[in-house]
Amino acid sequence: MAPESASLAATLSRFRKIGIIGIPPLDVIRAANEHGLVIHDLDEPLVREDLETASPFLPRVYCAILRTAVVNALHLELDGIYVDTGPGKCDCALHTATILAEALPIPVICTRNTDTTGYGTPLCQARLPLIARMQAITAGVKSVAPYQNPPPPCSPTAGFWGVPPRDFSILELFPDTTHIYGWARCMENKTPADHALEATFNPEVPTVFFAQSFCAKTALARYLAKKHPHALYLDVDVHTTSSARAKVQAFLELSGVRP
Amino acid sequence: MILGDFGTSYCKFLDLDTPGAKPTIIATKELPRETRVDLATGHNGRRFADRYVNELIALARGGEAMIREDEYVLLDCGSRDIKFIKYQNGKLADMGWNAECGASMGFTIELLERYYDLDYGHLLVPEQTFSVTCGVLGMSDIFDAVISGVPVAEAVARFVKGIAVNAYRFAGSPAKLYLSGGLCDNPLFVKSFPCQVTPLGRFVLLRGLEAEARQLRPPCIS
Repeated sequence: MAPESASLAATLSRFRKIGIIGIPPLDVIRAANEHGLVIHDLDEPLVREDLETASPFLPRVYCAILRTAVVNALHLELDGIYVDTGPGKCDCALHTATILAEALPIPVICTRNTDTTGYGTPLCQARLPLIARMQAITAGVKSVAPYQNPPPPCSPTAGFWGVPPRDFSILELFPDTTHIYGWARCMENKTPADHALEATFNPEVPTVFFAQSFCAKTALARYLAKKHPHALYLDVDVHTTSSARAKVQAFLELSGVRP
Repeated sequence: MILGDFGTSYCKFLDLDTPGAKPTIIATKELPRETRVDLATGHNGRRFADRYVNELIALARGGEAMIREDEYVLLDCGSRDIKFIKYQNGKLADMGWNAECGASMGFTIELLERYYDLDYGHLLVPEQTFSVTCGVLGMSDIFDAVISGVPVAEAVARFVKGIAVNAYRFAGSPAKLYLSGGLCDNPLFVKSFPCQVTPLGRFVLLRGLEAEARQLRPPCIS
């Protein structure tokens, strides 16, 4: 066993439940799986607590996903937290890790995920409800197992580019034949720092370029939306507002995309 | 079939079963609670009808019905929000709806006219403007200007111009735009845009609803 792996295994052997923010390297997830640890993806809403409980630690005007991660970290009984702060995440996560390390009595360990082995993106291209596919993609970050029985690809009629939104309800509006692009595709491929894959889109289908409000990816989303011949740029904060829903509805309907 | 555009400050109606009928308008605060229509739009609309068309779609369909061009920008400035659609080669090219940062601009303009007893028909477009992104925040600029000695009418005119410039930028700074909404009747607002403006009036969304209704119920052929 390499020294780094031995150190990781020794650390994880002390834990039963860990939280992850972003996508830590496969080595971490593999070791956690081997030790039978419970992994909580702190980027998702996991506890029924007001987002305001994050406000003593993060500004109110801040990425809603990281505010959610802080709320989860404060209210879940965890033994440790792994935060990816490499090129597949963002400076906001780095600063959040610094703050959590001081606020919590558990280890907060920063990682740099530079994994390059692609697992493939079958869910991104399948014909299934978009919410179910996005849920499966986000659940997939807790496992290193290769994908079994991947669904066949479909011909796309629309595109969703971006990160998994904090509020998945926006995804209800898209047809099952929507292909997923952006960081969510990198998630499924288990290469979150693959910026070339992240910037890939299909100019042939109307595409919504989505980013969380106050996230650095808003710049990339808007930039790519301007390059795409038929795009809607959209940023949403904590919850999907009625105007955000209406924009997506109108964009898809006026673009001739059938439900 | 009765159509209704339920806006924040005003509701507009059209009865398709009465030949030659003109749209009617009523202040939202005076709208009877039991009002029902067959097809609705506007942010209040869902409460008053079983069938609802979202405002951007109604705006787009209204534009398609009223504008005989393949390339245009249509901007709707309402009491509560601003929204636009842009068509190129007869197809949707861009759109936007600013309900948060564009909040309450139209509402504030009307409020100021009443509060200061002004007549926008007699105010000149000022040289200067405020940088206004929100009706509520923009009020502070007015008060600051008045305190510093700027006449009230001039301060309000700068505010109105600021809103027009903000809406123009939101719509992508086009050389020419079509304007929809109650602010079409405000000459100061219309003249404050730094581009060519064609006002279409406050019934564009109703026209869009009419187009949607005709799709639902094709006209009888005798």
